Amino acid sequence: MLHLIKYNILVKLRNFNMTFWPLVFPLILGTFFFFAFGNLNDADFETVQVALVRETTSNPLFDFYLEQVQKSDSDLINIHELTEQKALTALKNKEISGIYYTGMTPSLTINAHGIPESILQSILESYNNSLHTIRTILKTHPSGLLNGLTQMIDTRNLVQEVSLGGKTIDGNSQFFYALIAMACLYGCFIGFGSAITLQANLTALAARRCVTPTHKLKLILSEQIASFLIGYADVIILLIYLRNILKLDFQGQIGKMLLISLFGSLIGVSIGLFVGSLSKMSEGIKVSVILAISMVCSFLSGLMNSSMKDSVEKHFPIINRINPAALISDAFYCINVCDDPTRYYRNVLTLAVMSAALVFASFLLIRRNRYDSI
Amino acid sequence: MIHIENLVKRYGDLVALNHLSLDIHEGEIFGLLGPNGSGKTTAINCLLSLLKYDKGTIEIFGQPMTPDNYQAKQQIGIVLQNVAVFDELTVYENIDYFCGLYVSDKKKRKKLVDDAVQFAGLEDYCKMRPKKLSGGLLRRLNIACGIAHKPRLIIMDEPTVAVDPQSRNKILEGIQKLNAQGSTIIYTSHYMEEIEQICTRIAIMDHGRVIASGTSEELKKMIKTGETITVEAILLEEKHLRDIRSLPHVFDLHYENQILVLRCTGAQHNLIRLLNYLQSQDITFGRVFSELPTLNDVFLEITGKQLRD
Repeated sequence: MLHLIKYNILVKLRNFNMTFWPLVFPLILGTFFFFAFGNLNDADFETVQVALVRETTSNPLFDFYLEQVQKSDSDLINIHELTEQKALTALKNKEISGIYYTGMTPSLTINAHGIPESILQSILESYNNSLHTIRTILKTHPSGLLNGLTQMIDTRNLVQEVSLGGKTIDGNSQFFYALIAMACLYGCFIGFGSAITLQANLTALAARRCVTPTHKLKLILSEQIASFLIGYADVIILLIYLRNILKLDFQGQIGKMLLISLFGSLIGVSIGLFVGSLSKMSEGIKVSVILAISMVCSFLSGLMNSSMKDSVEKHFPIINRINPAALISDAFYCINVCDDPTRYYRNVLTLAVMSAALVFASFLLIRRNRYDSI
Repeated sequence: MIHIENLVKRYGDLVALNHLSLDIHEGEIFGLLGPNGSGKTTAINCLLSLLKYDKGTIEIFGQPMTPDNYQAKQQIGIVLQNVAVFDELTVYENIDYFCGLYVSDKKKRKKLVDDAVQFAGLEDYCKMRPKKLSGGLLRRLNIACGIAHKPRLIIMDEPTVAVDPQSRNKILEGIQKLNAQGSTIIYTSHYMEEIEQICTRIAIMDHGRVIASGTSEELKKMIKTGETITVEAILLEEKHLRDIRSLPHVFDLHYENQILVLRCTGAQHNLIRLLNYLQSQDITFGRVFSELPTLNDVFLEITGKQLRD
């Protein structure tokens, strides 16, 4: 196996077209994006406008909490105290992003799904969590209340800086996440090139490999691993370029970014292997298919329009659950913006399952293949 | 060693293999001779389980040949008609790669690869990429990749196409050497001289079926032609042609552009009788030569067309 992987890597590295474009094209596109949209740090984050509607039984604790949030970052939210009627009109006219009702149990009304609404939701959730913690402390260790409150303030500051601080909340960041997703999917060209060399009806080289005693699964896996390593290296180079050369603000954990890039590269290569293994199509049609897959997936994940992914989420959410580019891009969003580990790991798992399914399907396609003509 | 029975392969309406039956025995250099499109490569591809076929059975080493008969594949070496090597790997790396598909032991493989390099006379080209090799060297590399693991059965599909005479001779000598070392060889070609030179047994194919098989001598004995006499730069009248046609043992006469071609049965003194007649008639002529029958004559007599038509 190592013998095969070694030579497969050598073959791919020495193949200019196979190695050069999947690496260089995303770098060029990233540079264009950089000059077009600038650094994520310099982005103008718009303060979230929110209405506060007091109900008959007011909640001073929530008022205090909102006051503290405003004090800690004056650019994050701007609260307007309105009557319910005026607040609803303002929400309808999109003058505000949401309405906080300050009853004994505070609630939030929103009219859309986007970053401002997510921020308002996070603040409310944070309040509820804090309240729950305080109640638990009072019930179990009343003496430790002061200590607990101090720690909670620290946590709130941390949450504000990383997720809600406005440093990475930029619509343009979506382009770079989609770009990384596209780079991952570009691995499909490497995977495709590998699959072609296993199709006896397409090349003499493949015919020679197919008549050897090496098990087909071994041939496919060695190609998959070699293609993946090269595709993954390409994505890492892109990530380093964006983070360290263009100095884009990817603030999340690098480990998580590498993990999602790993599974992203795996799915890219697997798609290429799978399409390349379909025996009924000519090579030209297969190239068109993988080009279409990579472009459509990238488009739907927001490569050309930052609001595309949100639109898809609103109308056809299932597409975002299965579009590999959307999953990769969303995972980067989870790491760098909304800090949602559950969603992140769900995306990683989906990609892993899809990759395994595609590789297995590729094996089934070429396992016992005899061709109509060669 | 190989048993093919009633093999039928159709491409739509075209019958590429028409109830082909063959038996190839251990130790042979078995030649499959036929014009382009006669079904030689199709037969090889079916034999290797690369192609689906409509009917028939194929057995290699006593087992049915299937795409996952890895045990049989382990003992087969294949040299395809088209050169099948990686352009990105050097000569040595290519041989090592393909040998590695059969032999996993690194030490053993190194020895086999070195032997194959030496066998193909590629010692001076080990670090070169295939694109820098000449056509002949490339063919030799193609062969080295197919035989490096010292297989029991070697299938060579037109390995000398577009090869210079020097390389061709080297390849043919090499094939005989491989056979002497114990490998059974199936050799397909449309070059009858090559087949005649190296093959111990021959099957002549046309339109997807075997039209004759046997040793070269056996095949030649199957036909009427025992000798072909050609006389160049000769001016003959109809009367002369009638006389010559009536000479003993002459069964076919062809006269065109002052060239006379006579086909005679295997009796002796045909040339002397013809020369005596020409002298008696005071007919002058240029070059005269007599040839024993070739495989082309066999093909011509059986099918009515030239092997290279």
